[in-house]
Amino acid sequence: MAGSGSRVRRYVLMLVLLGGFVLVLFRLVTLQVLRAEELSVRADRQHQKTVSLEGPRGTIVDRHGKVLAMNMEVPSVFGIPTTLESPAKAARQLSSILSVKVAELEKKLQQDRSFVWLARKVDPEQGRRLDRLSLDGIGVVMEGRRFYPKGPLLSHVLGFAGMDGDGLEGVEHRYETYLRGEKRMMVLQRDALGRTVFPKNLAERNPVPGHQLTLTIDEVVQYIAERELEDAVTRSRAKSGTIIVLDPETGAVLAMAVSPRFDPNTVSNLSPDRWRNRALTDAYEPGSTMKAMIAAAAIEEAAMKPTTLVFGEHGRMTVANTVIHDHEKLGWVSFAQAIQKSSNIGAAKAGMVLGEQRLYRYLQAFGFGQRTEIDLPGEGVGLVKSPSAWGRRSVASISMGQEIGVTPIQMVTAVAALANGGVLMRPYVVSEIRDAEGHLLRRVPSQVRRRVVSPETARSVTKILEGVVTHGTGAKAAIPGFRVAGKTGTAQQIDPGTRRYSNSRFVTSFVGYVPADHPRLAMIVIIDAPHDKNASGGSVAAPVFSSVGEQVLSYLGVSSGEPVTLAMAVPNS
Amino acid sequence: MKIFTVLLGLCLVFVFVWERVDMVRIGYQIERLKRDKTVLERQRDELRVQFSSLSASNRIAKLATEQLGMSLPQQGQLILVQSRPSGTPPTDFAAAPVRVARNYLPSRRD
Repeated sequence: MAGSGSRVRRYVLMLVLLGGFVLVLFRLVTLQVLRAEELSVRADRQHQKTVSLEGPRGTIVDRHGKVLAMNMEVPSVFGIPTTLESPAKAARQLSSILSVKVAELEKKLQQDRSFVWLARKVDPEQGRRLDRLSLDGIGVVMEGRRFYPKGPLLSHVLGFAGMDGDGLEGVEHRYETYLRGEKRMMVLQRDALGRTVFPKNLAERNPVPGHQLTLTIDEVVQYIAERELEDAVTRSRAKSGTIIVLDPETGAVLAMAVSPRFDPNTVSNLSPDRWRNRALTDAYEPGSTMKAMIAAAAIEEAAMKPTTLVFGEHGRMTVANTVIHDHEKLGWVSFAQAIQKSSNIGAAKAGMVLGEQRLYRYLQAFGFGQRTEIDLPGEGVGLVKSPSAWGRRSVASISMGQEIGVTPIQMVTAVAALANGGVLMRPYVVSEIRDAEGHLLRRVPSQVRRRVVSPETARSVTKILEGVVTHGTGAKAAIPGFRVAGKTGTAQQIDPGTRRYSNSRFVTSFVGYVPADHPRLAMIVIIDAPHDKNASGGSVAAPVFSSVGEQVLSYLGVSSGEPVTLAMAVPNS
Repeated sequence: MKIFTVLLGLCLVFVFVWERVDMVRIGYQIERLKRDKTVLERQRDELRVQFSSLSASNRIAKLATEQLGMSLPQQGQLILVQSRPSGTPPTDFAAAPVRVARNYLPSRRD
């Protein structure tokens, strides 16, 4: 009896244990097999954090590596109104640090919301002061902010990036795909306190920063151009001004100055008109500067030689029932002299000898009426009508720079073609693209667009243009010790009231290159609407060319090569 | 033999647990170093911006003219000549430009 009772107890115990094991097994199968996927997702949600990280925007540097634009992480301040005990007290404490009115902050902090921005992308120092304050319900997150450490320098070329880091103007916009950092989602493991432990996938890489752009611009040349332009615009009380400096051999832009300037760090309260790059967008009637190209076309086509005698009609010639005037009453002069004296009649006669079709062909060959393909956004095409739309006076008018609209970049590129022996180059501002580690990804080569005139013609025109400076209208463009070639331009502007050419509003300009025999610089200076009815390209723009040219040549270490006698020489070490 | 097997099993368990704990510890260490790196990178960027801003040509020119009393050379005062190393014939020397000031011209301030 005793033995059977013990056996029963053993069976019961075994059954209980077996039942327990079955239950555990059932639970295990439920958790690990049947609900495995659901529970795994729930667990991941608790200890994983997915964050979107974006690499910082790439840096922009000048040709010597000086930083012109770069990103920096700066604090953005937010509030959690629902957790604040006293919004008024917090607003008072924040106001002095953030330089925002107390009332404005208080209004934000009293909202019935769980998150509100108080100030975005403030200075790092403000963030540090805020940290020291350590206010409950006020937090700081770091965001990338674009800095332009040189202020207004080169602002029209650099453009600017918006609050969200998108390039909106200039190089920032044109090279957006290169500058923008790579965006990447990362899954991080976190502990019970919410601290990040390590990425779930150790093979995951951090987001890649944007590429670095090296410009062809030289900060010092740009500074010289901007300073001289600002001086000239202020002095002549002009509406605006433009200077472009090119390397004529390559088309590399060394400086592009536009006045008035703007500071890309504080662009939000400016009108788009202020940040428009007039050097590319605005077409103007070039006036007499066009005569350099007309002379080149006429000589290339053997329609004229520099020595060909041209009758100046004593300063008055009738074309299509309208009268063309010269400011100097010329008789018989050589074609070279006619250009040097900026004779409208001489240029008109050269244009007439060329004829409509050849004139139009050369306008196109020099790049007028088409984009120069410079790597900046917003470039205009100017205004060149086809010969079918020309009137009876058009050939004469275009030859003296009227009835045609050109942009400053078109004009300087055309003159650079005369400087380099007759080849039209594509102007460009970005020379290299490197990754964030500095490895070269792409070097932008100079690009020939086409040959416009022969080297012989270019040399002939250079001699004529040298005469403009030595004994013509551009005497004030002379640079001591250097041979300067160039052409002045004084174009009447259309009076919006009368819709006729104004006698008091002009676009004055000078375009040229130096040294004339081996040009290192091609430059255009445009002063728009100087406040003087006697203003001319020779009196307003030419001195600026001289001043910028002399300083830039000196900075670039270009010597005149001419013997110099010094009273006393002091090395400038 | 049994004891040896149990000890071996315990050792394996210990190694496994130690490895996991060490991974977590290193994970925290990596994160701390990453934060330090971020802070240092921010400082570096801040200094780069400051350096670039302080070395801007317009600022230097302003300091030179307003604080040091310097002035720009007038037109024609600054010329470049090419120096010829001694002993080299005039025709085939590597031209090295040297800046000199022609100081017999009156300066703008005169």
